[in-house]
Amino acid sequence: MRTIRRRLLLMLLPTLALLMMIGGVIDYRVAVVTTRDAYDRALAGTAKALAAYLRTDGDEVQFNRAGAGAALQDDTLYAVWTPEAGVIAGVTLLADALRQPSTPQGSSHTVYRDAQLAGKSWRVAELTSLTGVGPVHIAVAESQAHRAHTQQVMLLGKLLVDFAELDLTLLLVWAAVYYGMRPLDRLNAQVEAQTTRLKPFNEAQVPGELRLLVANFNRVLELLQSAAESQQRFVADAAHQMRTPVAGLLAQLELLEKEPAAAPVAEQLQALQRGIAQLARAANQLLALARAEPVAAMHESFRAVPLKPLVEQLVERCLDRADRTGIDLGAEAGSATVRGDPGLLQDLLENLLDNALKYTPGGGHVTVRCGHSDAGAFLEVEDDGPGIPEAERSRVRERFYRMPGATGIGCGLGLAIVDEIARVHGAAFSIGAGEAGRGARMRVRFSERRAPASAARL
Amino acid sequence: MRILVVEDDALVADAIVRGLTRAGFTVDHAADAEAARTALDGEHFDLAVVDVGLPVMDGLTLLQGLRRRGQPIPVLILTARDTLADKIRAFDQGADDFLMKPFEQAELAARCRALIRRSNLAPSGLVQLGSLRIDLNGCQVRIDERPVELTRREWLLLESLALNIGRIVSKERLMQALSGWEQDLTSNALETHISRLRGKLGDAVRIRAVRGLGYRLDETGTSPA
Repeated sequence: MRTIRRRLLLMLLPTLALLMMIGGVIDYRVAVVTTRDAYDRALAGTAKALAAYLRTDGDEVQFNRAGAGAALQDDTLYAVWTPEAGVIAGVTLLADALRQPSTPQGSSHTVYRDAQLAGKSWRVAELTSLTGVGPVHIAVAESQAHRAHTQQVMLLGKLLVDFAELDLTLLLVWAAVYYGMRPLDRLNAQVEAQTTRLKPFNEAQVPGELRLLVANFNRVLELLQSAAESQQRFVADAAHQMRTPVAGLLAQLELLEKEPAAAPVAEQLQALQRGIAQLARAANQLLALARAEPVAAMHESFRAVPLKPLVEQLVERCLDRADRTGIDLGAEAGSATVRGDPGLLQDLLENLLDNALKYTPGGGHVTVRCGHSDAGAFLEVEDDGPGIPEAERSRVRERFYRMPGATGIGCGLGLAIVDEIARVHGAAFSIGAGEAGRGARMRVRFSERRAPASAARL
Repeated sequence: MRILVVEDDALVADAIVRGLTRAGFTVDHAADAEAARTALDGEHFDLAVVDVGLPVMDGLTLLQGLRRRGQPIPVLILTARDTLADKIRAFDQGADDFLMKPFEQAELAARCRALIRRSNLAPSGLVQLGSLRIDLNGCQVRIDERPVELTRREWLLLESLALNIGRIVSKERLMQALSGWEQDLTSNALETHISRLRGKLGDAVRIRAVRGLGYRLDETGTSPA
């Protein structure tokens, strides 16, 4: 996944590592030059010290060997010679090695060079001292192994320090990037917790970079909120506008059926009544569906809803209807509370029960249950009617779908409403067979984890 | 028994007035809250059936005004809105019952009867269910003026049911009503008492068992079965 964190780390870490490596190389070069110069100066110093032991006696140059020996360190060779008299003191081999490319005459400059002597590498400082009898060359040679060792120690130390520095820097960069992005994580968590709510986020509590984004997001939320409100209003108004005339028609028809004069047309009146009842049902269900639409349901109506009274009241309300068709309606209500919209949950249970009462034949049983199982709270309606074949179980949740051979009133919206309301509540709606494989068992299981959270704080 | 119907929709109002009249009530009609208030202030009614969606002043505001002025008349709220918030608001304002449109005439009549019966209960202590007459103050039950002998437990059960006529009384509540007499009353024992009570009352009333919930006292013949 492409994350800002990843991008920042990918950009920062290799670049920093490369920069630090280049720095290490430069440090190393500087260290090498510095050591060489320091060693060279020390070598030149030794050569100068040796020059102090030169004496001229007439036109002869003399060198105090005993004094010079004390001034020399281990691993150091020296040679003193003049172009005329040849080697006066020291190692002839060294003087021979240096004599060929002879140093410029008349110069008292110190010259440094590398030389091979007796199969070893040496660093040589050569000094020309101008005496009364002419130039005297003094050369001091030091084994290269000596300074190579010092350089190795320095290099190792430098590399260790650089490596530690690199690690520490990378760690700091990683930590800074990781913790610097924490406000985004918190905002994400908050947005995630808001899937069923439209509460604006607190702009003052996010970093400056996110403020504009959050402000724009809040504006979208506001639009959604007002859309939700206007849909709620529309549904309420539409409900009122449709139900009142339908109620009038049904009530009038009910009276008309009882008139003695209506006896010859009793059948037509009953058909008319069935039609209007179906119209009323369809209107009710369309409204219930509109109420359950995610946008409409995303308003601040979620609260703790105890399921037991919901079940008891609905069963009590439907008792007479069950009696009319000879269905034994009962309840097994355990205590359970879910977070949700009480009106929608009532719609949900009403549609489940309506479905069961509609398809269960006389003499059958319908039981409404609620309670709390290990997996969370649940609502359930079980009947011993014809049931729903397994192949149809997913299709019956579709809007306006009616099972082949379905009779009676209904427009195929009941279970679609249940499905929609369950979804809005983060609940799972399952259709199975009832006890002993007979009838249908419809269950809505509320998951505690997926239950809409209360507003998260930044 | 006199009922005031407050409903602005002519079709609905006409049907309710005629339906309730046919069910044996004396019915008056008011088309708006103002007319309803005048009627209720001037005359005696046993019950008001009030629609929520009235012009100018809605039914719930009318109800609130009635309760504020101390009118104890039972009120059945009729509404085409079905949000739970409306229902809660209705009961908060002092409604005694709530019925959704569309409704069945038989159910409306049954609820009106139950409401009037419950509101008359307090002053008289008398419940008349067809041929059955329960005197709550005198602890007496008569069928066609013939006294029925009940045990103390049977009487307590009938009293609990009669006070909530038409409504389910949970087994727990019934058992609580008896608990002063029997410490560890079992569910089976409760069923035995109910069944004896049924035997003594005969066809005069029906004590309907509601599986998993409790019992309900129904008047035979008026239940919309």
